[in-house]
Amino acid sequence: MALVSTRATAFKSGGTAVLARRVAGKLGSLLLTLFLSSLLVFFSRFIVPGDPVSFLLRGRKPSPEAIAQVTTEFGLDLPPWQQYINWIAGVLQGDFGRSLQYRQDVSTVIGDRLPVTFGLVVMAGTMIAVVGLIAGITAALNRNKLLDKSILIGLTILGAVPSFVGAIVLIAVFAVQLGWFPTFGSGDGFLDTVYHLVLPSFALAIVFVVLVGKVTRSSMVEQLDREHVEVATSRGLGRGAVVRRHVFRNALGPILTVSGPLVAGLLVASTIVEAAFGISGIGSLLVQSVDRLDFPVVQSIVLLIVTTFVVVNAIIDILEPWIDPRSAAGAGAR
Amino acid sequence: MTAQTLTAKELKAPRLGGFGITFTVSVAVLLLMTVAAIFAPIIAPYDPNEVDFMAVHSGPSMAHWLGTDSLGRDLLSRMIFGARTALLGPLLVVVSSTVLGILLGVLAAWRGGWVDAVLARLFDVIFSFPSLLIAIMAVALFGKGLIAPVIAMSIAYAPYVARLTRSLVASERHRPYVAAYRVQGFSGWWIALRRVLPNVAPIVGAQSTLNFGYVLAELAGLSFLGLGVQAPAADWGAMINESQAGLVGGHFLPAIVPAIAVVIAVVAVNIIGEELSDRIGGEIPA
Amino acid sequence: MNLLDIDSLTLELPNGTRLLDGISITVAKGETVGLVGESGSGKSLTARSVLGLLPERATMGGQVLLEGEDSLRVSQQRLSELRRHSASMVFQDPRAGINPMRTVGEHLTETLRLCEHLPAEQARQRGIEMLKAVRLPRPEQHLKQYPHEFSGGMLQRVMIAGALISSPKLLICDEPTTALDVTTQAEIIAVLTEQAKSRGMGMLFITHDLNLAASLCDRVYVMSQGRVVEQGSAQGVFSAPQAEYTRKLVAATPTVAVDPAAEVAAARPVAVAATADRAGALRARAVSKTYTIRGQAPVRAVQDVSLEVSKGAALGVVGESGSGKSTLARIVVGLESADAGEILIAGKERTKAPRRRAERLAHARSAQMVFQDPYLSLDPRITAGHAIEDALKLHSKLSTLDSRNRVLELLDQVGMTGKHAQARPRTLSGGQRQCVAIARALAIEPDLLVMDEATSALDVSVQAQVLDVVAEIRRERGLTVLFISHDLAVVRRVCEETVVMRHGEIVEHGRTLELLGNPQHPYTRLLLDSVPRPAWNREVAVQSAT
Repeated sequence: MALVSTRATAFKSGGTAVLARRVAGKLGSLLLTLFLSSLLVFFSRFIVPGDPVSFLLRGRKPSPEAIAQVTTEFGLDLPPWQQYINWIAGVLQGDFGRSLQYRQDVSTVIGDRLPVTFGLVVMAGTMIAVVGLIAGITAALNRNKLLDKSILIGLTILGAVPSFVGAIVLIAVFAVQLGWFPTFGSGDGFLDTVYHLVLPSFALAIVFVVLVGKVTRSSMVEQLDREHVEVATSRGLGRGAVVRRHVFRNALGPILTVSGPLVAGLLVASTIVEAAFGISGIGSLLVQSVDRLDFPVVQSIVLLIVTTFVVVNAIIDILEPWIDPRSAAGAGAR
Repeated sequence: MTAQTLTAKELKAPRLGGFGITFTVSVAVLLLMTVAAIFAPIIAPYDPNEVDFMAVHSGPSMAHWLGTDSLGRDLLSRMIFGARTALLGPLLVVVSSTVLGILLGVLAAWRGGWVDAVLARLFDVIFSFPSLLIAIMAVALFGKGLIAPVIAMSIAYAPYVARLTRSLVASERHRPYVAAYRVQGFSGWWIALRRVLPNVAPIVGAQSTLNFGYVLAELAGLSFLGLGVQAPAADWGAMINESQAGLVGGHFLPAIVPAIAVVIAVVAVNIIGEELSDRIGGEIPA
Repeated sequence: MNLLDIDSLTLELPNGTRLLDGISITVAKGETVGLVGESGSGKSLTARSVLGLLPERATMGGQVLLEGEDSLRVSQQRLSELRRHSASMVFQDPRAGINPMRTVGEHLTETLRLCEHLPAEQARQRGIEMLKAVRLPRPEQHLKQYPHEFSGGMLQRVMIAGALISSPKLLICDEPTTALDVTTQAEIIAVLTEQAKSRGMGMLFITHDLNLAASLCDRVYVMSQGRVVEQGSAQGVFSAPQAEYTRKLVAATPTVAVDPAAEVAAARPVAVAATADRAGALRARAVSKTYTIRGQAPVRAVQDVSLEVSKGAALGVVGESGSGKSTLARIVVGLESADAGEILIAGKERTKAPRRRAERLAHARSAQMVFQDPYLSLDPRITAGHAIEDALKLHSKLSTLDSRNRVLELLDQVGMTGKHAQARPRTLSGGQRQCVAIARALAIEPDLLVMDEATSALDVSVQAQVLDVVAEIRRERGLTVLFISHDLAVVRRVCEETVVMRHGEIVEHGRTLELLGNPQHPYTRLLLDSVPRPAWNREVAVQSAT
């Protein structure tokens, strides 16, 4: 009988080779996904039937100069793969092309709007983590009791409140009726910005709080039923220590897994919230650019969001062995 | 058997009886909405686009049960007509993504090997585009309206269904009952489609029901952004978009009425979906 | 004062179901007490109640005095102290019972550090001591390892070390060896008895295995349906059972002990039928199968296995987990292809897994299989009758009416009625499901029936019923059986001949009774020695061996 599988031992006891190989594998997978996604983003333009020049110049005067300018700028006379290589080479150097609407570099246009969206996402993310975890943990520890049921009902209702509905209700109640918060804009200076972003981040957070809360609850409940929790209890460990060290610790995996898509989801949902609150972040920029047929900006924002999603997911993937040592050994099963 | 599993079973047993009150109410609400959508021209008291400048922003009254909007259009009628796009869009998305997803999921699980690997990579790429983003991109490419987003979201949701189906079928595939069918001489595809698929279908169905709620909210959001159904058409999202300006002036009803309609529809769908998945007993893997 | 004194304990669920009904049990210092019963008898619940591990919202009655304190009524704090100092428990499945995300060291020492506030180094030393005591080879290293790096047997030792680290006065063992191979079981039992003796600990040992209880315990309690039906000294209860239930249980329990006098009587009519036709229903020659998983050493699951079963005979294939016995079964029924060698069933070549429809059907008529887990081997959505009918329709051109009648006939053969035809597997008991699986296999009228651990998941009394059904069918139809099992005693009941497998190879082959009475290969001897048997029976076994 093989007493101990040496392969698995390597991970914790300084087997950096295994770890390095794992990280390298994940990075390779990340790059491949990014590459395929960039193909999709770039070549999506090619599935639109008709002439690319007239597609890009939709809604604008197709003057001969404009046509010539667009053709050279996008290299439309080159073969598609050449166009892609030029584009991706530019992107890798931070050159996303020029906006048709603003007549500026796309990177400048996006760069100006990024901080507000970032602030919005961070504030919403904090709310989601705090409220979601508290709700989920409280519900799980009071499983099948009144508190649990009320939290679940609350979450089910909140989960059906899309961000635009949340936004108008918050505006109606807290901005218009009570006058506590501004209805519009993102303010100047740090504190003012935070103040302006309270309602928007709240609206943004609602649906995701529900997601985190429900996953936390079900993941904890699942762990509570595990025999190792009973064993720990039978050894005379206090309830608090059991919950902390055995239930919550083991429930972390699924919670972390949903947080990956969550970050990208926040960025996308910020389109709606920014539009509702008149905040000029990249979300509202995306909507405007779609509205004004500014395809280069649309393409760049989509690529940005997709990259965020893929990178965050890869980080979570790489972190997984610290959460669940079995995944390092490839045994993976939760 | 541990003491906990024992209680879990004991506690769950009585639930196998009749459906809960919330579930019944939810089904009733959805049925009502569907009927309203189908028979909107008969049921609605007014033409949804009938402008009445004499009754701008009127509150609820006998003439206008839910009041009117900034152009004096009857909110109740607009809400009833709005149910059409609100329900039809998600229905199309859910049906097509479920069919596509089940096919791909069964294929991936049953063939395994490189087919599975290629499909998994494809799903990974599609997953990295959140569904609302795909919908927005579709609008950017093909112009405003619901057709492009509905097609795009069908593709965006298919991998979710496919991944769930794949994992369910794959775990089912290793169960002895499947081996037993093989030993009896049944063909692989017969087992997959006639025996395994029906066993996992309820869980997939529950997930698709939940998807219906998400899609409904997202399509309404798209219209709210002015990228989906265009004003002045009666659509819940577009109605909110139109009436947003009036909010600051204190005219809440034109925005709140369609907002509540969205919430009620989504709550009802979610309750049904969760109840179904609870009942089937399979936790939907994240 | 007794160490443990359970007095008329009752446990009731909110819906009124009474799971325990007036249980009274005592354990004295230094005494090993067995708690024996089949699944659902309440033995686990009784054991758990000692440590206050009870289902939520259960109503308790009676008292559970642990060193004079009622663990049902003490404060939460005091209960934790009792769990730390007075009694501790070894659970059935260490894989589920030890947190997979924490190291073995954390598992062992967390109560010491968090509750007793022992300095880390001291706790570590205690951990090392305990791992040594349970005879794990590299204590220092093990402390840093995760549970998934251990085999089941080693992990059970970790569990025992964890239970003993607080020096409890009473050790409760809940089926601690049920998930383990028989040789591993013997090692674990040795560690447990050694520790109990050296510490003067009381032990409450819960098991479904009468032989194990008899070999280990001073006194036993027999439980059934929430009640204690019999108690007394181990020898008294098992050699002269008083209660009806105990008598049935003892009768149903197979044993490996060979009594030379009974041997002649044991020659069954089936064995006679077997000699009639030596054509050979199954003939395997030099069958091999190797699994290769990328990045891992290839596993030679079956190596150069040859065996022969004559028509109407039953051959037992015995081995521990990883012996390749199940792979062999899967090859025979065509779920896997052999890499090398040849398999003939009733003279027809059946070496490769079938692909085309005609091959599949032909292979199915050659060999059918009954699987281990009756809860998973029937399609949950398909009723018993429908399942059998499916098989019938695939293999014959019977009309619907004829096939319905045939279904009833088949069900009748396995001791079930038409009423069961409409039942979904969920509503059937484990034994009934296994009978449906047998009927389904018979529907195809195969040349060979492979039973892969087909009764291992069943309680002994149910197992006995299923084995009776099999014996009956063999008598009537002269069915050939390949019986795969880890349990020598069960094989003895069914098979005239037996092969013993280890690491994919056959190490010994012979008539079952001779093999049990006079094993030649050291591994067979080890297997036999590992099977628990009561002390008062050992002499008989030794005598017959010589």
